[in-house]
Amino acid sequence: MSETRRERFCGSPEHALDRRRFLGTLAAGAAAFAADMTVLEVLKQPVIAQELKSQQKRVILLWLAGGSSQLETWDPKPGASTGGPFRAIPTSVPGIHISELMPKMAQRMEHTTIIRSLNTKNGDHGGGARLMMRGRMDDPSLRYPDLGAVLARELGQAHSAVPDYVSFYSATEGRDFAPDTAGFLGSRYAPMELTKTLMPENIRRPEGLSELDHAQRAELRELMSKRFARGRVSTDLGAHNEAYQRVRGLMASEKLFDLAQEPQKIRDEYGPTQFGEQALIARRLAEAGVPFVRVGRAWWDSHGQNFETHQEMVPELDHVMATLLDDLKRRGMLDSTLVITLAEFGRTPSINPSLGRDHFASAWSATLSGCGIKGGSVYGKTDALGQSVVDGEVGAAELFATIYKALGINPQKNYRVGSRPVPLTEPGTEPIETVLA
Amino acid sequence: MRTPLHALLGIVILATGARATPADELLPADRPIEAAVDHYVDAKLTKEGVHAAADADDATLVRRLTLDLQGRIPTDAEVRAFVLSTEADKRARLVDRLMASPGFVRHQVDTTDAMLMAGSRGSLNDYLSRAVRENRPWDQVFREVMQGNDSDPARKGSSDFLKARARDTDRLTSDVSSVFFGVNISCAKCHDHPKVRDWKQEHYYGMKSFLDRTFDSDNFVAERDFGAVKFKTTEGEERKARFMFLTGRVVDVPGIEEPSKEAKQEEKKRLEEARKKKEPPAPPKFSARGKLVEIALEPTERAFFAKAIVNRLWNRVFGVGLVMPLDQMHSENPPSHPELLQWLARDTIDHQYDLHRLIRGLVLSRAYARTSRWESAERPDPRLFATASVRPLTPFQLAASMWVASTDPASLPEVAKRDELDRKLEEFAGRGRSLASTIARPGEDYQIGASEALLMSNSDRLKDMLADGGDRLVARMAKMSDRREKIELAVRNVLSRAPDEEEISLFGEYLARYEDRPAEGCRQLVWALLTSAEFRFNY
Amino acid sequence: MADTRETLKLVKDLSRKEIVFALAHLPGSSRFVFGGSDSMVYDVDLASAKPEPRSLGSHDSYVTGLAIAQRRAISGSYDGRLIWWDLDYQERLFTVEAHARWIRDVAASSDGKTVASVADDMVCRVWDAETGEKRFELRGHEAVTPHHFPSMLYACAFSPDGRYLASGDKVGHVVIWDLTTGQAAGTLEVPTMYTWDPSQRRHSIGGIRSLAFSPDGNRLAIGGMGKVGNIDHLEGLARVEIFDWRKAERSHEYAGDTFKGLVERLVFLASGDRLLAVGGTNDGFLMLFDLSQKSAKLQEKIGFHVHDAVVGDASNSIFLAGHGKLAEYELKV
Repeated sequence: MSETRRERFCGSPEHALDRRRFLGTLAAGAAAFAADMTVLEVLKQPVIAQELKSQQKRVILLWLAGGSSQLETWDPKPGASTGGPFRAIPTSVPGIHISELMPKMAQRMEHTTIIRSLNTKNGDHGGGARLMMRGRMDDPSLRYPDLGAVLARELGQAHSAVPDYVSFYSATEGRDFAPDTAGFLGSRYAPMELTKTLMPENIRRPEGLSELDHAQRAELRELMSKRFARGRVSTDLGAHNEAYQRVRGLMASEKLFDLAQEPQKIRDEYGPTQFGEQALIARRLAEAGVPFVRVGRAWWDSHGQNFETHQEMVPELDHVMATLLDDLKRRGMLDSTLVITLAEFGRTPSINPSLGRDHFASAWSATLSGCGIKGGSVYGKTDALGQSVVDGEVGAAELFATIYKALGINPQKNYRVGSRPVPLTEPGTEPIETVLA
Repeated sequence: MRTPLHALLGIVILATGARATPADELLPADRPIEAAVDHYVDAKLTKEGVHAAADADDATLVRRLTLDLQGRIPTDAEVRAFVLSTEADKRARLVDRLMASPGFVRHQVDTTDAMLMAGSRGSLNDYLSRAVRENRPWDQVFREVMQGNDSDPARKGSSDFLKARARDTDRLTSDVSSVFFGVNISCAKCHDHPKVRDWKQEHYYGMKSFLDRTFDSDNFVAERDFGAVKFKTTEGEERKARFMFLTGRVVDVPGIEEPSKEAKQEEKKRLEEARKKKEPPAPPKFSARGKLVEIALEPTERAFFAKAIVNRLWNRVFGVGLVMPLDQMHSENPPSHPELLQWLARDTIDHQYDLHRLIRGLVLSRAYARTSRWESAERPDPRLFATASVRPLTPFQLAASMWVASTDPASLPEVAKRDELDRKLEEFAGRGRSLASTIARPGEDYQIGASEALLMSNSDRLKDMLADGGDRLVARMAKMSDRREKIELAVRNVLSRAPDEEEISLFGEYLARYEDRPAEGCRQLVWALLTSAEFRFNY
Repeated sequence: MADTRETLKLVKDLSRKEIVFALAHLPGSSRFVFGGSDSMVYDVDLASAKPEPRSLGSHDSYVTGLAIAQRRAISGSYDGRLIWWDLDYQERLFTVEAHARWIRDVAASSDGKTVASVADDMVCRVWDAETGEKRFELRGHEAVTPHHFPSMLYACAFSPDGRYLASGDKVGHVVIWDLTTGQAAGTLEVPTMYTWDPSQRRHSIGGIRSLAFSPDGNRLAIGGMGKVGNIDHLEGLARVEIFDWRKAERSHEYAGDTFKGLVERLVFLASGDRLLAVGGTNDGFLMLFDLSQKSAKLQEKIGFHVHDAVVGDASNSIFLAGHGKLAEYELKV
C-alpha cells in the first residue's frame, strides 16, 4: 500500500515516529480532504474529462430480477399460440423486430445487439441469478467473484477516489437470492450496495462533526493501526487498513449520488420512477469513472398476469434504456460504456391459467449495447413457438466471454487463488465474435 | 460437457502418502491435550529449525482468552486481576473461570451456529443454547441435528439445519460432508475428482443417496421410505448409485426399487394428514439419513467425523487449521501435523466427543500463548504455529467488545461480584447484536470491507456508545482533569493494556487541540482506538 | 325470504385450445358468440348434441369483449378494433378503429341501441349500435397510476334502463356516466382492489375487473380481488363490493373467505337479490351471493379460470367461458 506515507511510531531510531510529519498532517487535514475532492473537480475540465471518458471503459448492467419475458421484449412471437397478445414492431434496423412494448428501443436498434439464444439450464431464482451474475456455476471449493467485482478489478483504478462497484437493488424480493459478491477477489472489490435510498449508507459525515475533526481522528486511527501492524502479518489486517483508507474517497463521491446536481431537464428525461432515477445515477457514476454499476429492477416474476405485468414494466425499461443510451451517446460515452440487459432467466412460452408465464432458462434473451458491440444485430434464433434454441445456442460462459472481450479484457486471463490459476472463463469458452465490433 | 476447469489447472500434487500412524507410535493417550499439542508442534519446529516466538505478555493473553472463550474483550479490572495475580496456575484458573460463565455458552453457540449454518438462512441458536449449556457430546449434536426432531423439548429447534437445506439435496449433501466430515466432494458431482483420487463420482452420489430421500413438506422436514439416486458417468453411462460413505463403505438400504402404487399412495396420505394437522410428517420406517449417521460414527468409519471437528476447533483457536482449507481433508492435502491431528481425534473419541475439554486443552498449550509479533526478518510459515495468528473479531465479538470498551469501568460491578458482573457483560453482548448484524452476516469467512469502515466512520450507530453521559467512558474521561489519566483510562479500557510514553505524549497533543471542547476530544480519541486495527483483531 | 339451498350441476362442457375471454348470448336462442386468445370470434349452438363452433372471422389480437345488440354481435379486441357481426348471415358487417390501445370490455344496453367499449387508452367510448357512429367519448380515468406506470381501464356496464354507464379502472376508480348528457353522474372509489407493492416487488396487480348494475338500477356491484401479498400470483381473495351508487355508500362487502383470484364477471339474476360472480386463478370459481342475507349462498370450485359468464333465458342455466373451456351449468334451488 502507500509506502510513501509511512509514519513511524516507536522508540527505536529505525521506527522513530515522524511526529513533525504527523502533526503537520493533522493540521493539513482539511486541506488534504479538499484535495481528494479535486478528482471530481477534474471532471469539470472538458479536455481531461473527455480523455477519461474515451479511455476508461465501464459497464451499466440493467438487471431484470425475477426474470423478464423474452417474448414481451426482445424475441416476440406474434401470432404463435405462445406469443401472447403483443405485436412485434419493426426497428430502425431492417429485419429486426421487437415487442411493441419497446417503441423507443426500436428506434435505437443500431446501438444494440440482441442475443436470442441463451440456454442456461437453471430455472431456479437463486441458482440462475448466481449463474448469470458470475458467469459460471458455483464451485463449493472456490467462491467466484461476480461480473461487477471482476470489472472493478479489471477496469478500476487501484487508488480510485470513486467506488468501483456500485449495485442498486431496492426491492426486497430476490435480493438475497444472488448477493453481490467479490468472491475470492476479496473485500477490496466488494460492491457498494444501495438498497434503501439513492444515497449510499454512511457516506455523509455525521452531523456535528467537523471536517477537520473527522479527518484528524482518521489520521490518528491510521497511525495507531500502522503501529500495531508492525511485526504482524494477516490479509485481514491489510483489508482493514485498505477499507479505512478508502473512506475519504468514497465520501467525496457523495455528489455523484445526488440527483439535485443534475439539470431538471435531464431528470425529466429519465422520468420519475425509481428505476429511471437509478439509471441516471448510474450514468453519473459511469461518467466519473466508476467501472461497474448494476441497476437491479425487481421483480419480473410474472407467474400470474404476465401481460399486465409486462405492460406495466416493459415501457419503463424501454424508456429508461433508450434515455440512457441517448444520454451516453450525447456525452460521447457510448463507445466506452457497455449497457447490458440480463436476468436470471426468461419466461415460459406457454401461458398458464393465471395468464402468467413461469421460469424458463432454455431459450431466452439478453442484450448488449455500446462499447465494443456491433449494434443493430441479432445473434441466435429460437423456434416458432419460442420453446428451444435452433441456432447459435450459448450459455452464461459465452455471454461473459463476449462481455469481457467487448471491453478489451482477455476472457482467458488467469487469476491466481493460492497456487491455483483461475481463468476468467472456463478454458475453451468462445466469445460470440459476430456481435463484437 | 466441457473439460472441467480443475483438470486443466496443471497443478501437480504429489501424493504425500500421509498414512495413519499406528496408535502405539502416538504419544500415550493419557497425556494432557496441551502437552500433546506442544509435543508435536515443538517437534516440527525443531525439525524445521525454527525458534518459536516469545510468550505473549499477560495482558495480551487475558485479552486473547477472553475473546476466544467469551466473545468479548476483558474489562480493565479483569486484565489487572490477571496481570497482578501471582498464583502459579493463574492461567488454568482463568480458563476454567471463563468457561464456567454464561459468556462461554453464548460465544460457543454463536460460533457453532456460524459453522453449521454458514451461507444459509435460519439459525440453530435455540437448540444450541441448550446443547452447549449441557455440553452435549458432539456426536450427540450431530445425531440430533441430522434427525431434526423438534417435538422433543430438549431438541427443539434442531431441525433448522435440515430445514434450511431440505429443498436442495445437492446442497444438503455438500454441506453435511463439509461441515461434519471436513470433506468437500461437490467437484465429484460431475466427474471423478481430478485432483483427489479419494473422491469419485460414486462417493458424491453415494453420500447423496443417504440424503436424497429428505425433502421439505410444508416447512417440515420429511423423509421418504424409498428412493435411489441415478447419475450419469462422464462416459454418459446411467448408473444407480450405491449407498456409500466417504470411506468407501457400502450399505444395503431398503426401498431402492421403484415403489408400488400403494406405497406411494400411503406416503401421500401420511403427508396429507400431517399437513392438515400442521405437524411434522411421521418418520419413515427406515431412515436413510439415520443410517448415514449410524455409519459415520462406527469405530471403523468415524475418523472423518472426529478429525473434522478437531480441525475446525483448532482453526477457530489458532487461526489456521491443521488441514487447510477446512473442507479439504483428503490424502492429497495432508495436515501440517498429521500425528497431532490423529492424537487429538483419538483423544476426542476416547472422551466422548467432549468439545469443552478439547477447547480447554488447546488454549492451555504453550503454542496458543505466543506473541503474534515476529520482529526478525523472515516470518515463519503460519502452519508451524511459531507465532500467534492475527484474527479479525467476528461481528459478534466486535460489537460486544465495543460496548465493554466504551463503558466507564467505575460503573461496572467489581470483579469479586462475579455473577453481577457477568450479568452486566452479557447485557452488553446482547446490546451489540444489532450492530453486529449491520457489520456482516455471521459466517466463518466474512471479510472486512469499506462498508464497515464507512459504518464506523459515519453512522450514528456508535453515537450511544460514545455519548458523554451516564455510564459511558467518554463521560468519565470528560470529567477528569489530568490528561495523562484520561489517556491511561482510555487505552486500558479499549486496548486492554497500558499506554506507552509515546502514546501518552501523542494523545496528549491530540487532546490539547480540543481544550475548548474536552468531551469531543475524548470522544474522538476513543473512536480512534475503537476503530484501530489493534482493537479490531484478536492478536 | 326463506332460506333455500342452491346447488350447481354441470350440464355439458366443451374443450377449447384457446383461452376464452368473452362470451355473449343471443336472447331467445341457444346460440352463443365467444372469442379469446386465438383472435377468432366464434358462433356456437350449445343446444346441439355435439356443439361445433363456427368461426365468424378474426381480429388481430386477443378477443376480450363481446356484446349482442339486436341480432348483431360486437366484438372488441386488444387490436383496438370493434367489429360488428351479423349473426343471421354470419358475416362481418363493419370494423371501427375504436381505441389506440387494448380494448378490455364491451357492453350493450338492454334495448340494443347502444354499445360501449373501454380500453387502456383510458377512454370509454359509446357507439350507436346500428351505425357504429361514436356518440360519446368519456374521459374520467387517469392514464398513469400514482406510481407513474400506465393504468388500465378494465370494465364497463350499462344500467338496465340504458341511461347510465359505469366504467372501472386499475386503481379502483369508478365513474358512472349519464348518457343523456355525457357527464359523470357519480364516482366511487374501491382502492382495496388495487395493490401496489412498493417494497418487495415494485409493481402492481389487481384492478376493477367487473361491474354490474342491479335490476332496479340503484346498486352497482364491483368485482376484483383484495390486497395481495405476493403480487406475482393471483393470491388476493376474490372480492365484491356493492354500492348504492347515487349516495356513494357501500351496502355490501364480500371480502372472500374461500377463493383467491380475480372476479372477472358479475351478473345479477333477474330477481335482483342474487348476484353471480365468477373468476379464478390457476383454476376458477363461481359464487352466488344473497343480497338480502348478505351472504354467499354458493361457492363452487370450477376446474378452469373463468373469464366470462352469461345467464341464459332460463335464469337457472349458467354458461361459463375461460381457460380452454366452455361449460353449461344448471343452478338448482
